[in-house]
Amino acid sequence: MISPQSKAALAVLLFLTFSAVGSGAQMASNRDADNAAIKQCVAAFADTWNSHDAHGVAMHYVEDGDFSSIRGEASHGRKELEDHYTTIFSTFLKNAHTTDTVRSIRFLAPDLASVDIDWLVTDPNAPGGVLRKGLLTWIVTKRNGQWMITIYHEQSF
Amino acid sequence: MALAVSVFLAFSSAPAWAQMPSSMDADSAAIKHCVAAWEDAWNRHDAHATATAYVEDGEFSSTTGVPSHGWKELEAHYNEIFTTFLKDAHRTDTVRSIRFLTPEIASVDIDWQMTGARTRDGKDAPNRKGLLTWVVTKHNGQWMITIYHESAF
Repeated sequence: MISPQSKAALAVLLFLTFSAVGSGAQMASNRDADNAAIKQCVAAFADTWNSHDAHGVAMHYVEDGDFSSIRGEASHGRKELEDHYTTIFSTFLKNAHTTDTVRSIRFLAPDLASVDIDWLVTDPNAPGGVLRKGLLTWIVTKRNGQWMITIYHEQSF
Repeated sequence: MALAVSVFLAFSSAPAWAQMPSSMDADSAAIKHCVAAWEDAWNRHDAHATATAYVEDGEFSSTTGVPSHGWKELEAHYNEIFTTFLKDAHRTDTVRSIRFLTPEIASVDIDWQMTGARTRDGKDAPNRKGLLTWVVTKHNGQWMITIYHESAF
């Protein structure tokens, strides 16, 4: 005769076992979906950037997102970010076009990843047509099912 | 049964939240210590100690985006630079900001400067400076480098 306590313990054990097996299989496919979603986030950011939409670009960040320029100058939060993009799109980058290619994605947690992106900014008026070339290194976070930029660093070489 | 589980969860999560601000201060101090210890290993030109400040599958990327992955490649990279164009170099690293992404994962921005560097063909090179941007993770109570990026300007 199995006691009610043992039955309850067995039920919990079975539940945990099946949910662990299920989540293991699901994790791989979630990871593929998240990789695709992160690449989509990078592509959408580049599109918005190329339409020189400062508000739209700032909205790709979480509300308290951090940006740092090739010279390490920082902007923090959506207001500063939008001001920063408004400035660059109306001055030295007003004819610029970016091409961003994801090099690698490393998950730090299921909802947190580091993304390295090869980066090329062109301008027909720049010497050789190239204004910037380098690496973007982002930390992205999944919020309400959507991947957003938490930290943006860039280096030019 | 459900009540027992809820009570357990309530009691186990409450102290974790209550403890968070002071843990975060302690972790910020520990991360600064990790940066200082790494800087010290680098300045002794100890390739092994510099590499083992990373997690075993840690990632490095140079100012020109050239990567090294894992302890073996990292140590080989540091051995190479410490015996060639950076053999007389000295660095100074100053933590600019720390942002916690979870209690055990943080992003760290570090201003760096370097004297004594040479060009690849052995001539004196100008002093270098820039920004290191690290992702550090806490393993068995110790903060280690998971991802290292550096820019020069």
